[in-house]
Amino acid sequence: MSKHPEYQKWAELASKQMKGKAVDKLDWMTPEGINVKPLYTAEDLEGMESANTLPGMAPYVRGPMATMYAGRPWTIRQYAGFSTAKESNAFYHKALAAGQKGLSVAFDLATHRGYDSDHPRVAGDIGKAGVAIDSVEDMKILFDGIPLDKMSVSMTMNGAVIPILAGYIVAAEEQGVSHDQLSGTIQNDILKEYLTRNTYIYPPGPSMRIISDIMEFCSTTMPKYNTISISGYHMMEAGANSVLQTAFTLADGVEYVKAALKSGMDIDTFAPRLSFFFGIGMNFFMDISMLRAARFLWYRLMSQFNPKNPKSSMLRTHCQTSGWSLTEQDPYNNVIRTTMEAMTAVLGGTQSLHTNSFDEAIGLPTDFSARIARNTQIIVQEESQICHVIDPLGGSYYVESLTDSIISEAQKIIDEIEELGGMAKAIETGMPKMRIEESAARKQALIDQGLDVIVGVNKYKLEDEKIDFDVREVPGTVRDEQVARLKEIKATRDQTAVEKALADLTAAAQNDGNLLEAALPAVRARATVGEISDAMESVFGRFVATTRCISGAYSSEYKGDSGAIDEIKKRTTTFLEKQGRRPRLLVTKMGQDGHDRGFKIVASAYADLGFDVDISPMFQTPEEAAKMAIENDVHVVGASSLAAGHKSLIPALIEELKKAGGEEILVVAGGVIPPGDYDFLFDSGVKAVFGPGTPIPESAGKTLTLLEEKYLG
Amino acid sequence: MLKSPEEYVEGILSHDRLALARTITLIESTLPAHQERARIIVNQLLPHTGKGIRIGITGVPGAGKSTYIETFGTMLTEIGHKVAVLAIDPSSSRSGGSILGDKTRMEKLAVNPKAFIRPSPSSGTLGGVGRKTRETMLVCEAAGYDVAIIETVGVGQSETTVSSMVDFFLVLMIAGAGDELQGIKKGVLEVADAIVINKADGDNVTRAEIAQREYETALHMLMPNSPNWTPPVLTCSSINGNGIDKIWETIKEHRTKLTDCGEMASKRKTQALDWMSFLLDDGLRQWFYNTPDVKKALNELQKDVESKNTSPTAAADMLLRFLPTIGSTTD
Ligand SMILES: Nc1nc2c(ncn2[C@@H]2O[C@H](COP(=O)(O)OP(=O)(O)OP(=O)(O)O)[C@@H](O)[C@H]2O)c(=O)[nH]1
Ligand SMILES: [Mg+2]
Repeated sequence: MSKHPEYQKWAELASKQMKGKAVDKLDWMTPEGINVKPLYTAEDLEGMESANTLPGMAPYVRGPMATMYAGRPWTIRQYAGFSTAKESNAFYHKALAAGQKGLSVAFDLATHRGYDSDHPRVAGDIGKAGVAIDSVEDMKILFDGIPLDKMSVSMTMNGAVIPILAGYIVAAEEQGVSHDQLSGTIQNDILKEYLTRNTYIYPPGPSMRIISDIMEFCSTTMPKYNTISISGYHMMEAGANSVLQTAFTLADGVEYVKAALKSGMDIDTFAPRLSFFFGIGMNFFMDISMLRAARFLWYRLMSQFNPKNPKSSMLRTHCQTSGWSLTEQDPYNNVIRTTMEAMTAVLGGTQSLHTNSFDEAIGLPTDFSARIARNTQIIVQEESQICHVIDPLGGSYYVESLTDSIISEAQKIIDEIEELGGMAKAIETGMPKMRIEESAARKQALIDQGLDVIVGVNKYKLEDEKIDFDVREVPGTVRDEQVARLKEIKATRDQTAVEKALADLTAAAQNDGNLLEAALPAVRARATVGEISDAMESVFGRFVATTRCISGAYSSEYKGDSGAIDEIKKRTTTFLEKQGRRPRLLVTKMGQDGHDRGFKIVASAYADLGFDVDISPMFQTPEEAAKMAIENDVHVVGASSLAAGHKSLIPALIEELKKAGGEEILVVAGGVIPPGDYDFLFDSGVKAVFGPGTPIPESAGKTLTLLEEKYLG
Repeated sequence: MLKSPEEYVEGILSHDRLALARTITLIESTLPAHQERARIIVNQLLPHTGKGIRIGITGVPGAGKSTYIETFGTMLTEIGHKVAVLAIDPSSSRSGGSILGDKTRMEKLAVNPKAFIRPSPSSGTLGGVGRKTRETMLVCEAAGYDVAIIETVGVGQSETTVSSMVDFFLVLMIAGAGDELQGIKKGVLEVADAIVINKADGDNVTRAEIAQREYETALHMLMPNSPNWTPPVLTCSSINGNGIDKIWETIKEHRTKLTDCGEMASKRKTQALDWMSFLLDDGLRQWFYNTPDVKKALNELQKDVESKNTSPTAAADMLLRFLPTIGSTTD
């Protein structure tokens, strides 16, 4: 590559300012492994395929639409749902009145995993991380007063897609809205569930078939409906860097396309209805470039299937600001973080956006925090005058170069996946999961050393944190309300009709019938989400994940001041010498919360620090976790909670331990736990609570102190 | 609260999970006081051991050992057995801490009231695997578990140690990597009582069958371990359960055959004697190397040998001369 004619002169000037050091000392190696220089010039763009193209035209780097926000700004679509359908419905009405344009429904974990609210496994999860939906009656309440022929509704559902999508369709029918009038998106991206979020029900094979069935059904009857939202968001939240997010998401996309083609569909009947969902983190220019690069790559990847309709290779995406980047400490800073990330998404050219509430590291959004979040993007959209120009960063030497680097780095990983036989096969080998976990462990190590700055967490910490705003609590009565309604529905419906419909659904599962079509009569007959899921589970089985953990990634990245780490290693060794074994910790996740990033990092880092770490399977009941703690004879159980189940699940675990004679076993908790709940947990016997962002050496040190006091004291 | 060895013994004999778990901790402890206590407990339990079936399972990482045990163990509990699983995880060498994730792959068995699963860090020392696992197995038998399954990763020498403490040693293989015997040493095949090609499902069935024939040929060339038993090569799927019951039939057949001709009894006797001599060797070594004089001299002599100031023979000779003088310095 040639250099700017006066480059040498500049380099000398710069070097002089740095007291003689070479300018390349200013280079920065990003977590993606991209070398970023301190200065870019026009020469960097020479011969670049992705630079200087036009919006609305292949390869779509500059946006899928010709006019982008100059014509119509992105859709403000806030994701929300909690407690009962009635509560969520009231929340939606308020949000729509205040300027929100589309709805986006969050379901609780019981619903995701296809359990009715009265199932004993999910007692701690009802209405917590989203709204509880058990039947079409709940769906009707959820959308009460919301005209489904006009409102575009997006639903984050992957596991129980069949009963939920069918529920939405039937709720619309009963509003008098026909199938073809429905517009919106269902996430329906099961592959990433096996990678990160774990809210699947069935094994990959049948799950892929469900997706093809939905695409097929919708392509003929619901032409305005997006049948899948291929999501990188959760990968980013699990720790994937921007290149990994891009590569794995697009590779997932290719896998869905292949599945649909295999089931006999024509590319142009479904590909225009594929949409994407990216997560946007704090690395400003990186993630702007990521969206641009993703559009280029998707165009290139789709070309292999020879679509006739240009829309088939056009990447349209929803974006969400990163929940993981929000801190529990000094939480008002989160408003600023979210604003930055919103700008990133907008400058990257997103089609719709969710901005997080500043209190999400603490609890569920309140009316107040939701308003701030919504206004964050309204202000960007309506006050900042940003919308007038399409892809305003197009032509920036830096952004174009970064876009190009992401394209080539992500392409390498996509090729690697292709060699493994596609994403489904790659997931089987565990490769993507390991890469994400490795990336997460590295990131954690950088943060714990202060090399990645997080204000209020590892720098500029507040002396004393206090919460001077309300935190939303989901009342414990949600489950009772749901159970009562389930009883009522089961008492008033035509039981023979339900059984027949469910038997038909099971038969369709066995005989390759269209599952969405077959589920509609069952929903109309008031079969529940759990019953419909079971009717298919009887054929498909329930998927059980294998948890693998990498070791070494955390400590290998912890290069700088390893004083804190060495000290803990010394202490674990002393413990071993005095107690005859290493401190032994069981990390467990109870309830239906499938977020396993924190839990895995803790396992891998603590082992690096000299603990013996047992990891439990996901989705444990307190009783199961206690059995494991007793059997493995651990010193301490670390319960990870990110989905608001802590107040029932953790005290229940302590009870179960006592029952089995294991009262000596200490219990500590970590995750998203509102500070207001700490005392409640301490009172029920929890010895320490580690909020999000607690550096590993700190939590490990504290846990170790507890053990030293007890055993060496 | 468990205090005296008698309380532990009582707990174990009344099938108490906690007592069993805590006893295993004592057995695994590196503290002499704990080991002493464990010895007393194990001694008192000995009369209650010996009736169970002991199965060792090895295979390369990812061969599906844990998944196999999940399916196999669950089947055994369904037909009335109580199953103890001892899983030995390799320690991370860097700091010595381990990630013990076996139960994540034995999700059903982990919560099964008729099963007891204990993953153990191998703590780097391979001798440790043998010593501790054997005693743990005995304690599990005393606690009412009539089938004990030991999982080891087949990459070190731990599997030969394990094979010398079980009745039936099963080597789990996967198809496709057959030619170089998948990093499993030939020695392991020599002690196998059966070879099982796992993951014979989906589009892998044919490949598994081909591998089956390959291993049959390979086994033909080896001297059988026992005059009364020819190790079969079987296939199974730990995911869909095909072939799992056949393996159990094989294990039972092996047991009947070897019991009838008396080989089982003599095998266990030999194992007990081997065990004693192993402990003796191990004790002697520890005793010798832990003597302060020896430690000091060893350190210096190593340097001398390196710098060629002393010959290896002379150095060893000098060290061994400490033997008569270290009478009672044992701890
Ligand atoms: N298709 C198929 N996959 C299997 C089978 N058995 C195990 N697997 C898969 O193989 C992978 C490894 O299985 P594990 O049971 O963890 O293997 P392991 O030998 O215990 O592995 P380590 O404990 O790490 O040495 C998992 O993803 C299993 O789901 C089988 O019979 N068929
Ligand atoms: Mg295993």
